[in-house]
This record gives sequence, structure tokens and C-alpha cells, in this order.
Amino acid sequence: MRSSKLRWWLFVVPVALILIVVRFPYMVDVPVWKFLDRGSIDPATLHLKGEFVESNLGSAEQSDGSVLVRIVAQQYVFVPQCVVVPAGVPVRVRMVSADAAHALTVEGTSYTVKVVPGSVTEQKLQFSQAGDYAMPCHEFCGAGHYAMRAHLRVVPRDQFRELGPAERVNCDAH
Amino acid sequence: MRINGGVWVLASAACLGFPLMLCAAYFANSAEPPVRVPSNVAWTEDTIAEASGGDALRGLLISRRCEHCHGEEGFSAEAPVPNLAAMDRLAFWKQVEDFRSGKRVSPIMQTIAGVLTEQDSADLAAYYSMLPDSADPQDNRSFPQRLSAPQNVSIAARLVTLGDGERGVPPCQACHGPVAHVRGAPSLTTQNGDYIFAQLEAFAHADRSNDINMPMRTIAGDLTEAERRAISQYYGAGLGALPAARLSSQGHDRPDTGDVVTGASDDVKVGAGKTAKGSFLQVRR
Repeated sequence: MRSSKLRWWLFVVPVALILIVVRFPYMVDVPVWKFLDRGSIDPATLHLKGEFVESNLGSAEQSDGSVLVRIVAQQYVFVPQCVVVPAGVPVRVRMVSADAAHALTVEGTSYTVKVVPGSVTEQKLQFSQAGDYAMPCHEFCGAGHYAMRAHLRVVPRDQFRELGPAERVNCDAH
Repeated sequence: MRINGGVWVLASAACLGFPLMLCAAYFANSAEPPVRVPSNVAWTEDTIAEASGGDALRGLLISRRCEHCHGEEGFSAEAPVPNLAAMDRLAFWKQVEDFRSGKRVSPIMQTIAGVLTEQDSADLAAYYSMLPDSADPQDNRSFPQRLSAPQNVSIAARLVTLGDGERGVPPCQACHGPVAHVRGAPSLTTQNGDYIFAQLEAFAHADRSNDINMPMRTIAGDLTEAERRAISQYYGAGLGALPAARLSSQGHDRPDTGDVVTGASDDVKVGAGKTAKGSFLQVRR
């Protein structure tokens, strides 16, 4: 009788300890993402300086042929709302939030880019063929969340080159 | 007095070094591509404290120069001129600052705001935010405006309360109230329709570009001109005052079905502007 009780404690105490240790970062609200992302940024001053000023948003072709897309997520629009990228080329998305947590989901694919205010999220995407995708927000962000939706237009690579000079490319230029 | 040699070295290093640093900073900046900045205002803690810490009594005195156009009670007699009564302090302060810095273009307002200090605009913001936005039938005000196209109310009500998820148009009231608020977004519930329409058009064509991170340019650009007009008239008639204003049909009572979509059927007559100005909202709870 006594030994079975002891065995029970020997099982329960380590399990409880493991659970508590695993849970610890969330209990004290440690911003885990701060250790995972690639740099921090002040969400209040995005429009004043740095890479997320409004004239720098959108797609830009890099010297190595890949494409860099910069997006600002805010309540309740992604800016730019329509993004053009070429097919068959690595696409790097750098996204930042101006207010709350957001997540950009490319519908029909497994890509999701999550952002929290204060840090830049970077993610690599690649699309094999041209097409149009909806990109709704996939993280509840407030009263207008369900209407927060951007669009992604994947175009053939040569067509992307014709879209414009070295400037940032949006659907408007299309 | 004998001066230590080390001090001279330090002083001359500072005299030479400081201009050099300025030059370096200048050239470092000029090497980057031109940066378009929509507004110099950023909602940092200091800015929020400054914008919301005005003295309303001082604002009352300054507001004498605003009264001629914006009305003694913050309600303008001219529909293209915005009403200022009960406007959010931060929203008010930001617009005045943008006029001062030229980020928002208006020949009249840039001149007037140019003689104000930051403290003045904070004081004005405090004063106007305290003015009541309730109706006063004795006042000479253009709000609420008569609905010139009541058939468009259902279009506007849908966009204002629900938005259009397919296009990515969020509902107006998710930011502008009364459902939820976003910092710096003015309340539109007692705003003049003509003014709202002019601003929506300006945002859509990027004639006005002082919205931080471009939300209004994006959303106004998504809407058609007819939709922009419908929304403006909806707000201008005072229908945006409740989260989902259930408009009564004048004459016959409709059963309380509990649905939130307003003005969806043709028999709905909107009472705004038709009754005494004291009760511009014909809303049935």
C-alpha cells in the first residue's frame, strides 16, 4: 500500500515539474518571439524612418534575382493591399505591425506570416506558377479583423521585370 | 588661469568633430532614396501626453478665431467645413500639427494653424473635445444634412457597420467608433457629410496623404465614388451615431426581428433631417 503511494508520487511530481517548467515562459509573459525574430522596431515611428516608410513598401527586386516584399500590417489593412511577385523566384517577406498582432495567410498555400508589434518578421515564400491569392489576416486583431484582407498577384517572371524600373512594385502599376 | 593641455585637445577635438559628424550624418542620409513621410506626428508616449494634456480654458480663448467658420459650439454652419465638437483630442491635435508642418494641405488652415504653437493646438483639442455633440435646435448648424439619396442608405450602412471582406474594406466604425476606436481616428458620428466626402475623395486620389501608414488612402481607394458618397451622406445625416442604427420607418412600426442590417428594405424611410433638429436620430431601441 505504502509503496504504491510512493510510486504514485514519484510519477506525479516529475510530471508536474515538467509541466510547470514548460509553462514558465508563458506564466511570466516572456516575449518568446523577441528571441526568434530578426530585430526589433518601434511600431509608433514606422512611417518616419527605416525600411518601412511608405515609399519603401511593396516588392523590390534584389541584386541576386530574389524579391523582397515589405508590408505593414495595421488595424485593419495590410499596406500595400495588393502585392505583385514573380513566379519561380524566392520571395522574402518582411512584415511589421503598427499596432496589434496580425498574421498574413496566403490562402490555398501553407504560408503564414505572423507579426507582433515591436519586431520584424521575415519569411521566405516561393510560388511555382502565376495566379491570384487572397491574403486574409489570420490572427484576431480587433473589430475589423474579418474584413482585413490583402491580395497577392503572382505573375510570370519576365512580366514582373516589365512592371517598372527599380521602384517598388504594387498592383497599381499593373 | 592656466589651462590644462588636455582640455585644449578635448575642446579642439569637439570643435572639429562635431561639424564632421554633422557632415557625415548629412551625407549618410542623402545617400538613401527619398523618403516619403506622411506626417511628422508619431504616437509615442511623449506625443500622446502632449496632445492630450491641453488646458481647455485656454483653448476656449483661442477658439475665438475658429468660431467664425467652425461655429460657436463646434458645429459649422457650412457643410464643407468640419464640425469640431467632441472631436477626439489626439485626432484634433494631429490634424493641426499636420497643417502646421504642411503635411496636410489647405491654404486656409495652414495659414491659421501656422500661428499656433503645439501647446495652443493641445489646448484647442482639450476645449473642443469637451464640447457636447448633442443636437441643439437653436444653433445655426448644417448638421444633420438631409439625405439626398435615401436609397443608398443600405449600401452605406453595410460598409459602415460590416465593411466588405471580399475587397478587404474594413467597416468604418471599427476605427472611427462608436464600436471601436483606433488612436488618432476622429469620430464621424456628428461630422458633416460634404466634408467627409471631400476628404474621402482626397484620400482616394492621394490629394490628402497625411494618414500614418496609409490606411485611409488604401480604403478610400478601394471604394467606388458612389460608395464614398453614400457613406458621407450616411454620416452626414447623423445615422452613424449608433453601432448598428436600426432606423425606424416613419409611420408604421416594424416588428423587432433583432437583425442589425439597417435600411435594407425599400419601405424604410430615414427620418434624418426631416424632423426638428433636436431629434435627428430616428432610432428605435
